[in-house]
Amino acid sequence: MTLFMTFTVLGLVLGAVYAIAASGLVLTYNTSGIFNFAHGAQAMIGAFLYYQLQAVWGVPTIVSVALMLLVVGPLMGFLLHRFVMGGLRDTAEVTKIVVTVAILLGFVALSQWAWDPQEARMSKMFFGADSYVTVRGVTIRYHEIICLLAAAGIAVGLRLLFTRSRMGVLMRATVDDPDLLRLNGHDPERVAGLAWALGSTLAVLAGILITPVAGGALEANALTLLVIDAFAAALFGRLRSIPRTFVGAMVLGLTSTYLVAYAPSEWTWVTNLRDALPMIVLFVVLLVLPQDRLRGAAVRTRERYEVPTVRRAAVWAVVMVVATVAFRQLIDDSSVGTLILGLSFAIIALSLTVLTGYAGELNLAPVSFGAIATIVAFHSGISGTGLAARMNLVGLVAGVLAAAVTGALVALPALRLRGLYLALATLAFGGFVSSMVLRETQTRSWFGHDFAIFPNGNLIVSPLAVGPLDFADQNTFLYSAAAVFAVLGVGVVALRNSGYGRRLAAMKDSPAAAAMLGQRLVRLKLSVFMVSTAIAGLGGIFMSMALTSVTSEHFVYVLSLSLVMLTVVGGIGYVSGALFGGLLAGGGFTLVVGTFNELSIEHPVHAETFGILSHSFLVMTALVGIGVAQNPSGNFFEIFHGQRTLARAPEVRYTALAVTVLLYLLAYAEVIGTWTFGILVVVLWQALPALGRALRPDRLLSQDELAARAATPLELLGVDTPYPDRLGERLDRELGLPARHRQVTPVQSVVIAADHSSRPEEGVRHVTV
Amino acid sequence: MTSTELTAPVPAIDEDPVLELVGVRAAYGAIEVLKGVDLQVPAGSVVALLGPNGGGKTTTMKVVSGLMPTTAGEVWFAGRNVTGITATEASRLGVCSIPEGRGVFANLTVRENLWVATGTGARLADLEEAAYARFPRLADRRGQLAGSMSGGEQQMLALSRALGTDPAVLLLDELSMGLAPMIVSEMYDIVGGLAAEGISILVAEQFARVVLPIADTAALMLGGRVVKVGRPADVEDELSTTYLGG
Repeated sequence: MTLFMTFTVLGLVLGAVYAIAASGLVLTYNTSGIFNFAHGAQAMIGAFLYYQLQAVWGVPTIVSVALMLLVVGPLMGFLLHRFVMGGLRDTAEVTKIVVTVAILLGFVALSQWAWDPQEARMSKMFFGADSYVTVRGVTIRYHEIICLLAAAGIAVGLRLLFTRSRMGVLMRATVDDPDLLRLNGHDPERVAGLAWALGSTLAVLAGILITPVAGGALEANALTLLVIDAFAAALFGRLRSIPRTFVGAMVLGLTSTYLVAYAPSEWTWVTNLRDALPMIVLFVVLLVLPQDRLRGAAVRTRERYEVPTVRRAAVWAVVMVVATVAFRQLIDDSSVGTLILGLSFAIIALSLTVLTGYAGELNLAPVSFGAIATIVAFHSGISGTGLAARMNLVGLVAGVLAAAVTGALVALPALRLRGLYLALATLAFGGFVSSMVLRETQTRSWFGHDFAIFPNGNLIVSPLAVGPLDFADQNTFLYSAAAVFAVLGVGVVALRNSGYGRRLAAMKDSPAAAAMLGQRLVRLKLSVFMVSTAIAGLGGIFMSMALTSVTSEHFVYVLSLSLVMLTVVGGIGYVSGALFGGLLAGGGFTLVVGTFNELSIEHPVHAETFGILSHSFLVMTALVGIGVAQNPSGNFFEIFHGQRTLARAPEVRYTALAVTVLLYLLAYAEVIGTWTFGILVVVLWQALPALGRALRPDRLLSQDELAARAATPLELLGVDTPYPDRLGERLDRELGLPARHRQVTPVQSVVIAADHSSRPEEGVRHVTV
Repeated sequence: MTSTELTAPVPAIDEDPVLELVGVRAAYGAIEVLKGVDLQVPAGSVVALLGPNGGGKTTTMKVVSGLMPTTAGEVWFAGRNVTGITATEASRLGVCSIPEGRGVFANLTVRENLWVATGTGARLADLEEAAYARFPRLADRRGQLAGSMSGGEQQMLALSRALGTDPAVLLLDELSMGLAPMIVSEMYDIVGGLAAEGISILVAEQFARVVLPIADTAALMLGGRVVKVGRPADVEDELSTTYLGG
C-alpha cells in the first residue's frame, strides 16, 4: 500500500508539471490559433536561466524565481508575439508550425552556445531533496508539494481567467475575429501579447519545476522533448478545455509511474516504453478524437507556388546532374561523402514537397521513416560479409515499401482530422521510433525469428550494388544519388501536373469543395502520404549508406525538424526548395561548422571568433526559419520571380553563364578556392536581376519605372515640371490644410471633378493590374 | 459624375457633418477600389449607401470604421480630421460599426459578447439591460454560444452593441444579408428607432427597398465613387433605371 501511495504521489507530481506545461500550450493556442511547438524550448531556456541565476550567480532562490516568473517569462512571451507570432496572421498552418519549430531549433542552438553541452549541470529541488514530510509512510518532498500546489493554483486561476474575467473573454475573442475586437474598442495585439506573456511564463515555470523531478540533469534536447510530452495532455482537452487537459496530464503522470512500479521484471523494455508513453498516448487520443467538420470557405493564405511544366523540370534535372558532376571535380575526395549526404537529405526533403507543398499536409518526422526503411533494408537486403557486403535491390525495395506501409499506418488515425493533428501524429511517431524502435538493441523473438531490430545500437549499412552500379565507389554513389534526385524531382513535377496532382491541389485549397466534387479525401490523403513516406524511406536508406554506420543519434527529432524548416525556407512547393533544404540540413551544417573548426585550428588566434561564427550560423539559420513568417512562399519564389524578369534580356543571362564557366575554370585550375567559387556564383546569380536592371534598363523596366527614373528630382518639382496633384494633396494633408476647403470653392471643384475623370495616371494604373 | 449638393434635410449650414469623406481613395494591394469618395452624414440623419456588388460600399464602411487605411483623401469626424485613425481609436470616438456578415464572436456566449462590447466604456449591466429589454429572446439565451443561434438572433446580438453603447455614428453593413424578410424589417424598425433617438446612421444595403423608408438621404455608389446623392425616392429611380435597367 505504501508502495502504491508513493508511486501515486510521484505520478501526481509528474502529472502536475505536465499540466502546467500543457495549460500554457492550450492558452497560447486558444488566444492566437498557433500551436507553439517551441513551448518545450521555452521551458528549457527557463530552466537554464534559472540555473544560471540561482546556482551559478548565487542569487537567492526566491529572488531568482520571482525574476524568472515576473520578468523573464512575460518578456520572452511579449517579444515572441511582437516580433514573430503577430506576423503569422493569414498564413497556412504549415507556416505557423514551421515558424515555431524554427524558434525551437533557435532556442536549442542558443542554449548550447551559452551553456556548453559537454559540461554536466544539475538542477536542485526547492529546499533541496532532503526536505520532506512523511504522511503515513509516504515521503513527499517540499518541491513536490510546490508542484502540486502550483498546478492546482494554475488550474483554478486559468478557469477563472477564461470564464470570469473580461480579459479572458477578450483572449478567446481574439482568435475568433481580431477585426471585430478592434471595432469593439479593444486592441487585439495587446490582448494576444498578454496571452503570450502568460503562456511563456507557464512554460518557464514548468521548466523550472520539471527539471529536478525528471532527474535534475540540464540537457537542452532532453528538456525540450520532456515538455513536448505535455502535447499529449493538451490533446486530451482537444486543445481547448483546461480541466480535461489537467485530467490528461494526471493520467499521463500516473500511468508513467505505475508502469515503472508494477511492470513484470522480465519486461526489459519498460523504460523505453515509459519514455515513449506520452507519444503513444498522443496517438491513441488522436484515434478517438471526433472528426472535424470540413470548413466551407477556402482560407486565403499568403503562400504562393507556381508549377513548372514537366519539360522545364526535365531540363533542370539534366542541369542539376551536370552541375553535380562538374562540382565533383572541384572538391577533394573527403568532401564527397558530405555532398552525398546532402543529396540523400534532399531526397528525403522531396517527400515534403509532395506532401506539404502539393497536398498541404505535414510530416514532422521524415527522417524517422528513413530509419524504418533503413532497418528493413538492413535485415532483408544485405548479402556477403565484411567489406564485400552489399545491399541488393530487394533490400532497397523492401525498405521503401516498409516506409510506405508505416506511413499509411501512422497517417490513418489522423487523416480524418486537420493538418495540425497529422503533424502531431508524425511527431509522436518520431518520438516512438527514437525511444522504442531504435533502442531495441537486444535479440528477441519476433514472429518466430530471433533477431535484434537495432543490433548493438549500431547498424552497418553496406553500399548498394545493382548490376554494374556499385555504390562502394564514391563517385558512382554521388552521381547515382544526383540522378535519383533528378528523376524523382521530374516525377514529382509530373505528378503535380497530372489529374492526381490537381486533385491534391484542390484538397489543399478547400477540402470541403473537393469533397463536394466527389473526391474521397481520406483515400487521397492516404495515398499521398504513402508516396511521400516511400520517398522519405528511399532517402533514408541513401543517407544510411552514405554514413555507412548509423546509430540512433542519426535519426533524432532535431534533424527532422531542421530539415522541414529549411525546406520551407527554400520553398516547400518547389523541387529546388527540397534540394536547398536537403543540402543544407544534410551537408551544409557539417560543412560550415567543420570549416570553422578547421579554420580555428589553423589560426588559433582567431579561434574564439570562429567559434562565435560557427554558433551564430546555427542560430542564424533558425532566424531565417522565423523569417518564413514574412515570406511564407520560401526564398525560391522570390529568386524565380527575379530571374523571370530577365527573360526580356537574355544576353544578361548568357553573360552570367559565361562568367560562371570562367569562374569554374579558375576554380578547376585552383586559382581560386572552392569556397570562393561557390560564394561568387551564388552572389552573381542572386544579384543578377538587379544587375540586369542596372545594365539594361530599357529592356527590363516597365514604362512606369522608366518614367519614374526619368522624373524630375524631388527638389525641382514645381520648378522644372508642374506640381503633381497627388503631391499637392499630400502636402496639404501633412500641413493640416483641410482638403474639403479646397473643393468648397465652386471653380476649383469643377476643375477637380473634370480632372478626376481624365486622370492620365489612372489609365496606367489599370494596365498594371 | 457630378457631386450634387445635399438636397435632403440639411442641418444648419455652418454645422459640421458628423461624418465626412473627402476624395477618399483606398486600395487592396494594386487594385484601387475607392476612387475618390465624397460623402457626408449630417448629424442625426440616416444616409443609405446603395449600389450593386463591387461598388465599394463595404470598403467605404471599412475606411470609416478604421479597418482599412486610405491612400488619399480625408476622413472627418465631427469637425476633426481623423484620417489614418485605427479601428480601436475610431470605436472609442463613438463610431459603432456592425460589419458585413455576423458581427458576433461565434465561440463566445451571448453575455460574453456583450462583455466584449464594453470596450468603448459602457457597463456590462447597462448593455445587458438594453439588449434584453429590446430582444427578450437574447435574455433566454444569455449562456448560449453565439455561433449556435439562428442568423436573426445573431444579428440581434450584433445590433445590441449599438443599443447599449450610445454611439455617435452607427455603421451598418448589409444588415439584411441571409435573413428572412420579416426579420429584416424588424431589424430596420429598430434602426429607425435608433435614428429617432438622434444617432447618425450610415447604412450600406444592396436591397434598397428595405432601407429607403427610414433614410433621409441616399447615396448611389458605382465603380468606387459616389455618383449621386439625393432624396431616397430620386435615387431609387436612378438606381432602377441605370442599374436594374428600368
